[in-house]
Amino acid sequence: MYRIRLHGRGGQGIKTAGRILGEALFLEKYEVQDAPRYGAERRGAPIFSYVRAGKKPINERGIILHPGLVVVADETLIEIPAAGVFQGIAENTVFFICSNESSDFWRKRLGIDSQIITLSQSEEYDTALDFHYNSSVCVGAAGRLLGVISKESLKQAIEEELSVFEKTVIEKNIEISLKAYDELSSYEGIVKRGVGISADSYRRLNWVEPPFEGADISAPAIYDSGTSELALTGLWRTLRPVVNKELCALCWHLCGSFCPDSAIYLDEDGAPQIDYEHCKGCLICVMQCPRRAISVEAEHKKTKEAKGA
Amino acid sequence: MKRKLLTGNAAAAWGARLANVDYVPAFPITPQTEIIETLAGWFDEGALKGRFVTLDSEHSMVTAAASAAVTGVRVFSATSSQGLLYASEMLYAVSGYRVPWVLVNVSRGLSSPVTLEADHNDIFALRDSGFLQLHASTCQEALDMVLMAYQIAEDVRVRLPVIVNIDGFYLSFTREPVEIPDENKAREFIGEFDAHNISFRANVPLSHASAVLQGSIYSYFRYEHHLAAIQAISVFNESAEKFEKMFNRSYALIESYMADGADYVFIMIGSFATKAKEAVDMLREAGSLTGLLRLRMFRPFPEEEMKKLLKGKKAAAVIDQNLAPGKGGVIYTETAAALCNEKEAPFLISYIGGLGGRDITAEEFYEIEKEMRKAAETKKPPMARLLFSEAELEAVRKLQGIAGVEKKNEQRKN
Amino acid sequence: MKRKMSKEKIKKMRDIPFERLLASGTAMCAGCGALEALHQIYDILGKNTVFVNAAGCMTLLSVYPFTPFRGSWLYTSMASAPAAAQGIRDALDILIEKKRIKPKDNMQVVVLAGDGSSYGMGLSAASAAIERNLDFIYICYDNEGYGNTGQQYSDATPHAARTSTSKSLTGFQYYKKDIFAIWAAHKPAYAATIIGSDPLDLAKKVEKAKNMKGAKLILALSPCPTGWTFHSNETVKIGKLAVETGIWPLKEYADGKIVHTKIPRERKPVEEYLKIQGRFKHLFEPQRNDKLIAEIQNEVDKYWGHYNH
Repeated sequence: MYRIRLHGRGGQGIKTAGRILGEALFLEKYEVQDAPRYGAERRGAPIFSYVRAGKKPINERGIILHPGLVVVADETLIEIPAAGVFQGIAENTVFFICSNESSDFWRKRLGIDSQIITLSQSEEYDTALDFHYNSSVCVGAAGRLLGVISKESLKQAIEEELSVFEKTVIEKNIEISLKAYDELSSYEGIVKRGVGISADSYRRLNWVEPPFEGADISAPAIYDSGTSELALTGLWRTLRPVVNKELCALCWHLCGSFCPDSAIYLDEDGAPQIDYEHCKGCLICVMQCPRRAISVEAEHKKTKEAKGA
Repeated sequence: MKRKLLTGNAAAAWGARLANVDYVPAFPITPQTEIIETLAGWFDEGALKGRFVTLDSEHSMVTAAASAAVTGVRVFSATSSQGLLYASEMLYAVSGYRVPWVLVNVSRGLSSPVTLEADHNDIFALRDSGFLQLHASTCQEALDMVLMAYQIAEDVRVRLPVIVNIDGFYLSFTREPVEIPDENKAREFIGEFDAHNISFRANVPLSHASAVLQGSIYSYFRYEHHLAAIQAISVFNESAEKFEKMFNRSYALIESYMADGADYVFIMIGSFATKAKEAVDMLREAGSLTGLLRLRMFRPFPEEEMKKLLKGKKAAAVIDQNLAPGKGGVIYTETAAALCNEKEAPFLISYIGGLGGRDITAEEFYEIEKEMRKAAETKKPPMARLLFSEAELEAVRKLQGIAGVEKKNEQRKN
Repeated sequence: MKRKMSKEKIKKMRDIPFERLLASGTAMCAGCGALEALHQIYDILGKNTVFVNAAGCMTLLSVYPFTPFRGSWLYTSMASAPAAAQGIRDALDILIEKKRIKPKDNMQVVVLAGDGSSYGMGLSAASAAIERNLDFIYICYDNEGYGNTGQQYSDATPHAARTSTSKSLTGFQYYKKDIFAIWAAHKPAYAATIIGSDPLDLAKKVEKAKNMKGAKLILALSPCPTGWTFHSNETVKIGKLAVETGIWPLKEYADGKIVHTKIPRERKPVEEYLKIQGRFKHLFEPQRNDKLIAEIQNEVDKYWGHYNH
């Protein structure tokens, strides 16, 4: 069966992308199982969805541990181990990354042997809203890489899954998806159907009986304060605020007061500093600064610069 | 020690008093109300020092109880039936807080249809809530088990809340002689409340019972809870040993009444088990080798003890005063699971009796003994049976007549 | 007779503490209006607090082993947080009375509940707590719907709002429950409405509540980017408009009197507030629904007319 895992962030259309692929495969007469994986509703947090498709009814369940195709809609997730982009990959796992960088760039960067294919959106994007169209690119690309979805089925699936949206939105999605589909013609069908785990030769397990531990150890208690700082919510960000020291009037930290996440602090000079490890990029500070001293930059550009690409 | 005639409710209240509880959040419900009224009176007159407060519902009451226990005080509360079920979300939730406290349930049948009489559907509905369960058979046990419950709950190996069950009406409103232990000895038995790691204090931050979003971590917490519940078996035995030394009353996990050397045993829980003792005495007089096994602890289920006591018996009749629709008796099911891989296990026969307070008569015990004999001889145990007579069915028909059941059905046909 | 000296220290913006006590790294959405109010509140209430959570968006503030709190936190249930507050308050009082802890170990008990709990199933426990004059602070973050489950309508949802369970062209058919009036009818020690977009008003009120005994409500309108459908950077802008249009009156109840702390001199038309939120888009597109907009405006006019402003 085909085992496809799609990675993105909450709010980027990853759940819908999974369903479009699922629907398209279903239209191609495959038995399908698709589902998203996320906790509570949170924009920006890494999520994934998955699709299984085969000729027989699917009995496998749950997250896909051994994907044949991994689709990454937001390349910044690759830096986040918790996003699990590389979980369970094998030599023949095919990667599709929606990125302006080339396949070679990623192969070198990731140091893996798997086949990596990239495509980007042709237009430069500056607002988070355009990230939805990354999912559209992914849908088209995945469709072609699988090699068993016709253009017509893909189009129909998009119409079906996006039926609640306006016509113009649906048409734009179809346009972007089919463009990606066309661009990857040379890679048609490189994703092969995978087999299940062999009962003859599987990795032996190491079951352990958890030892009894008194409540002093085993109660669900956190005996510390502020441990949430270990969670780097800065990784949710697709846009970042940047303080322009020249323009900043060192007012009474209006930006810091409005920051919901305590991600703006004052340094020894009383100047606002942004804690990029935790800033989620909501940009309230940008909008509220009376001097317009805070500007916006796209995160993936920053990442590129930082890595000296 | 003074010996007085006390109702089960009064005995339970005495248990809380002797345990020197700090806090009693309450909510009234039949047939438990006398317990909280008694305690409220003691707080008012200063016999107990702390707080008594009535909450807006049992759900709130259990929340207040557990939160106070998390903060670090000794807590007692009581409820029944519908109230226990209304609180059920919180009963499950707060057992996972891993803090000790004691809740007395005065068991009463569940709606629908609504009733005030006793049975065990309420208490068994919460058997998987994570609370430990002790079941009293006499008013003396009502008091004693509350004391033992505190000791077991607060033991560092357990740290779980306990429900002590006493039957509505048959214990709650029935007076029996009860020896009230000396206050100081009771204090000595239980000791001072020690909050260990979990308490709320300024400058000692604690984020408790936070969300867990991963299966493996959740599994760990839940499994450790289970292991702690299992620890209560040995902790109970230690507590019983200490109790016997101090108060001269002996309590085993499972009371074995004439079961040693018996071929046939009744298996029961709660106050109606004493009726079985009476039946056993008469059956023995008539030459039958019959005994009784009565569970004092239901959670954790004393599996090893049960297997040991049933080994070599020819037949055992489980008399459940509860009924799980679509399955049958709860004690029967759990006992069967304990026995399923055992060699020399007896035939297990299921009886449902005493629902909604319905009596179980001496004759019924004798009939059950006959069926146990037959099962052993023919090697064919009978199907599960509801204890119910022809006369009772006739009575139902009469009532249906008055309720116009036939009339209604005729109307529908026309 | 000597006038009692005010314990309140916060008078100007610069008096507002900026401790950033609530740690970053929590899983709230970027731009969360509730978190914005909470982080301001926490700086004033401080770490000698036990926050008791009712199920809602803020459940995920602490996910084991992460917690943003410098003081304490207890997760309870959706309906019974005020009952937990009772248990904790009583237990602390008992421990102090019995000299098992020192008075300096005492803490303030604070309920943290969303509108779902506060306007609905939590009302029974809250009502009983006020009636017992429980000494606690009750913070309700009101994002006008059941947010954590995907923004279904609650008793706090305003008239005509679109939610996931009121998707027709006319939106939510009922009106927002007046929870402030319900609390005031109980004659609590204090009740106040606040909003994160007005930090000084918020700070004064929270400080007042902190210094008082008895049952105290702090009701925070919490603009919700995810649930109300607007870009995360507009949280404060929308908050300000809520006040400027008169939709969210900033007021206090104390000693039997209701006093407005901010009176918009010339109220902006409600339209300005409505049209920038996706949940009211249907009032403007595909065509204007003048009837509904007028209904909303009338409700606001009626309110302020009653208060003669």
